[in-house]
Amino acid sequence: MQVEFLAPGMRDVADPDPPLIEIVRGLIFGEGPVWDRNQKWLYFVDIIGDKVLKWIPGIGVETVLAPSGHLNGMTLDHQGRLIIAGWSSRNVWRLEEDGSLVSLASHYEGKKISSPNDIVVKSDGTIYWTEMQNGLLIPGMEGNDCQRYLDWQGVFRMTADGALTPMVTDFAGSNGLAFSPDEKRMYVNDTPRAHIRVFDMRSDGSFGEGRLFYTLQGDEPGHADGMKVDAQGNVYCTGPVGVHVIAPDGTLLGRMHVPGVCTNMAWGDDDWRTLYVTTRNCVFRTRLKIPGIPVGAV
Amino acid sequence: MAWEFECVAGPFNGPTGGLVWDGKTIVFAAVLESRLLRYDPGGGGVEEIRRFTNRINGLALTPDGRFYGCQEGSRRIIEMNADGSAAPLGATLDGQRINFPSDLTVDRTSRIWFTDPYHHLPSHGPQIFPNLPHASVLRLSRHHVTHDWIIERLTFDTAAPRCLALSADERTLYVGEGDALSEARELRAYPVDATGRLGSPRLLHSFGRDHRGTQRGAEGLCLDADGNIIVCAGSDQAGPGSLIYIVSPAGRILETQAFPDNCPMRCTFGGKGLDELYVTSGTGHLWRARQTGRVGLSAGKPAA
Repeated sequence: MQVEFLAPGMRDVADPDPPLIEIVRGLIFGEGPVWDRNQKWLYFVDIIGDKVLKWIPGIGVETVLAPSGHLNGMTLDHQGRLIIAGWSSRNVWRLEEDGSLVSLASHYEGKKISSPNDIVVKSDGTIYWTEMQNGLLIPGMEGNDCQRYLDWQGVFRMTADGALTPMVTDFAGSNGLAFSPDEKRMYVNDTPRAHIRVFDMRSDGSFGEGRLFYTLQGDEPGHADGMKVDAQGNVYCTGPVGVHVIAPDGTLLGRMHVPGVCTNMAWGDDDWRTLYVTTRNCVFRTRLKIPGIPVGAV
Repeated sequence: MAWEFECVAGPFNGPTGGLVWDGKTIVFAAVLESRLLRYDPGGGGVEEIRRFTNRINGLALTPDGRFYGCQEGSRRIIEMNADGSAAPLGATLDGQRINFPSDLTVDRTSRIWFTDPYHHLPSHGPQIFPNLPHASVLRLSRHHVTHDWIIERLTFDTAAPRCLALSADERTLYVGEGDALSEARELRAYPVDATGRLGSPRLLHSFGRDHRGTQRGAEGLCLDADGNIIVCAGSDQAGPGSLIYIVSPAGRILETQAFPDNCPMRCTFGGKGLDELYVTSGTGHLWRARQTGRVGLSAGKPAA
């Protein structure tokens, strides 16, 4: 994998020529990667292909759910269950051990939510997701109802009692979101504005004031879409040419070149130093030097 | 006799497009504002009735109250329900994504006939699906066993079909073919055979060119009760100007009416006696001509 080293800190992130292995191909719109450390496999989705899939090292791809309702971002809760941003199905889902899908949220103040894009679970179990309109509008991502009702895009929080609260409502297209390692900051990117904002988290789990953190650099193909953070607090965001690595102070450390248009990524494997990257058509894996923040049951 | 047009709504950002008469009011599309609006000639007011339409243009209302829109920004047709929800209909032809449905009409058996031209604006979000290799008139219908929506291709001789209307007996399909980039801009009449297929079209009218350029062709059609075709065509840029044509089924131009705004878009009859013509425009207005001396072919829902 070609890596641009734009600041000294990038030497701590990547070797000069890390491996880049294509492990899945033939997707129409890959997304939603998350590593299940107990099962030792990677969950991901094909949004337009309308499937939840898993890739098992040494075995290959198996279908978990199809049709899926054009689901999008996924993570694991602390019991190891898949938590899914339902996108065109307009729900937030949990996949139970018996294989059933349970809806955790579908309405806010009596109105259907728009299309949950990507999703994270805080250490205390609170769920946050980006609320966006695109799952109602993009050709090939059709659910039962494509009418948008909420007049804002931003971030929802769902607490343990099931209550939804908008955290921020002034996005043009909220997409990837990720906590810093200490959960004192939340990064949220905005696809049309091609930037990332950072919010200081208040002790009650709500968002403090936000500020501009990073504006995507480069005019090659690629958008602010999926976003993850490593154990030292560096932010990894999809963008022009592949994956941008940004230091906690907002400095661009480097850009990792991935063929196609990157959509999201997930840390995985036992040491959390493998980065799985979904593109529209493929899933790649590479090895990096700083582990990611573990996801799921510990 | 010259019609007197009055502006009853607008301007909106970008053109106004599809419009329907529901028996009491006109519902019309502010296409680039992604909104539908209602003009109530009784109360005189304009109100927003649907937002976030992602560039709905063509509209159709059936006698039993089904309400459809051509969602250009999502390359599909949707059904808009009374509870405010919207259901996307099938949007693939032989597995390939359709282009940008622009105008539509619904026949007695609930099949939806629509024009599927290309569009200079992309659909919303990432560009995943290429255009079809052709821009045709297509038709949605329900599969007789599964009831899934399926799409058939009806024309094989169009490059930019803009608008269409079915005759009262549903045995003739009128199509406005050709945009500014087309070799020809024509009003065509296709015979519809018993199986629903189209025969070779009769050319009813060809829009020409002059020293200023090509004349803008038909962008909108509706029919009057005598079977004549009311055509929105022309512009202030070239040709004889922005006009409403009344064309007989044989292709004779019975009259033309000067349209006071640039680029008439779509038209429909309204008013208590269905004798008023409402017209949308390229500058984003809604116009009405009150005493047209003609009565519209009733297609919409009776007064509710």
